Amino acid sequence: MLENIALIKEVHEHLATLKAQEIARAMLKKISQDHLSLYRVSTCSPTEIFYIQFIRALMMNEDQIMIVTPFSLIDNLRNINVIIENIKILAHKKHILIVDMLSNEIHYKGTACNTVK
Amino acid sequence: MVFQLIESIGASSIRSVYSVGEALKFTSLCLIHMVNPRSYNPAMRMVLVKQIYFTAVTIIPLFLMMAFLFGSVIIGAVIALATEYSLQESIGSIIITFVVNEFAPFFTALLISLRSGTAVNTEIAVMNVNEELNTLREYKIDLINYLFLPRIISGIISVTSLSILFALIMLSSGYIFTLFYMNMDFHTYKQLLMSAIEVSDIFVLLFKSVAFGFVIMLIPIYSGLKTANSYTAIPISVLNGMVKLFIALFFIEVLSLILQLL
Repeated sequence: MLENIALIKEVHEHLATLKAQEIARAMLKKISQDHLSLYRVSTCSPTEIFYIQFIRALMMNEDQIMIVTPFSLIDNLRNINVIIENIKILAHKKHILIVDMLSNEIHYKGTACNTVK
Repeated sequence: MVFQLIESIGASSIRSVYSVGEALKFTSLCLIHMVNPRSYNPAMRMVLVKQIYFTAVTIIPLFLMMAFLFGSVIIGAVIALATEYSLQESIGSIIITFVVNEFAPFFTALLISLRSGTAVNTEIAVMNVNEELNTLREYKIDLINYLFLPRIISGIISVTSLSILFALIMLSSGYIFTLFYMNMDFHTYKQLLMSAIEVSDIFVLLFKSVAFGFVIMLIPIYSGLKTANSYTAIPISVLNGMVKLFIALFFIEVLSLILQLL
């Protein structure tokens, strides 16, 4: 998945492949997912795919990232706290917005993010 | 009844003109990207290297074997025919025209079409159906730069280099036949070919190889892009792409023959 993440910086910033891969590896390491570097999408779990997609979005120049209905993105997600903690580790400089349905409100109780209805 | 017939002819004509226009627009877009230095980002270069490896390098063992077998047999047949019709004086020109101008580029184009053209058509069609192309668009990745251009350039480089290799192997293996059939020594054979070859022959080989390489990748890519959104549409896309590709190959071949005759 390393090439998959590195691609964004290679294309948008014309960064050399090795340098872009180094940045991608560092991002994965921050959330202790560096083993994903050598994985292919078919061998990744839904949570791992979510992290890959999120890091790939972080590689873009946009200041704001919107995550729409994470419970439908990640199968069998019970505790969103772990995801939110990892998002905070990865994206401390970006504004992250999670959009979800009211029926999922209960999952966000006690999490360290602001809830707006 | 007559009006319906005229209406259907008109509708199909409009559709044909529209699809030709779309294809020409796509071709010109690819050409514009090809001459733009900003298209050549590190990701694109990485894909280009991989494409050249898969299109040109992995086929080399099979390619060398076929060139050797065809070379000795076909040049043998050409020499036998030329001898039968008392054309020994023109053997060099006949071999050069047949091998360099016609057989090497066309045979290479057919082989690469069957091997890589189908693969590229399927790959793009699958990516299209799986929404991978849309994902790349969402990440603002230019599909022409990242996916299409490396394949088109690799097609041009691969077909040109393999055509030259095919012609060289074919001419070299042809010596085996001349050695046994005509008892010709290598120096005489070399002189025969060297005196027959002209700059225009090399130009024709290069022109045809570049044109073949371009369409061998462009048409399957375009066909893959036009795939309807279902898995059952993939074989139909490959089928249509290959038919169009073979028509284009024959068109280039005929066009080059007409230009050579003028």
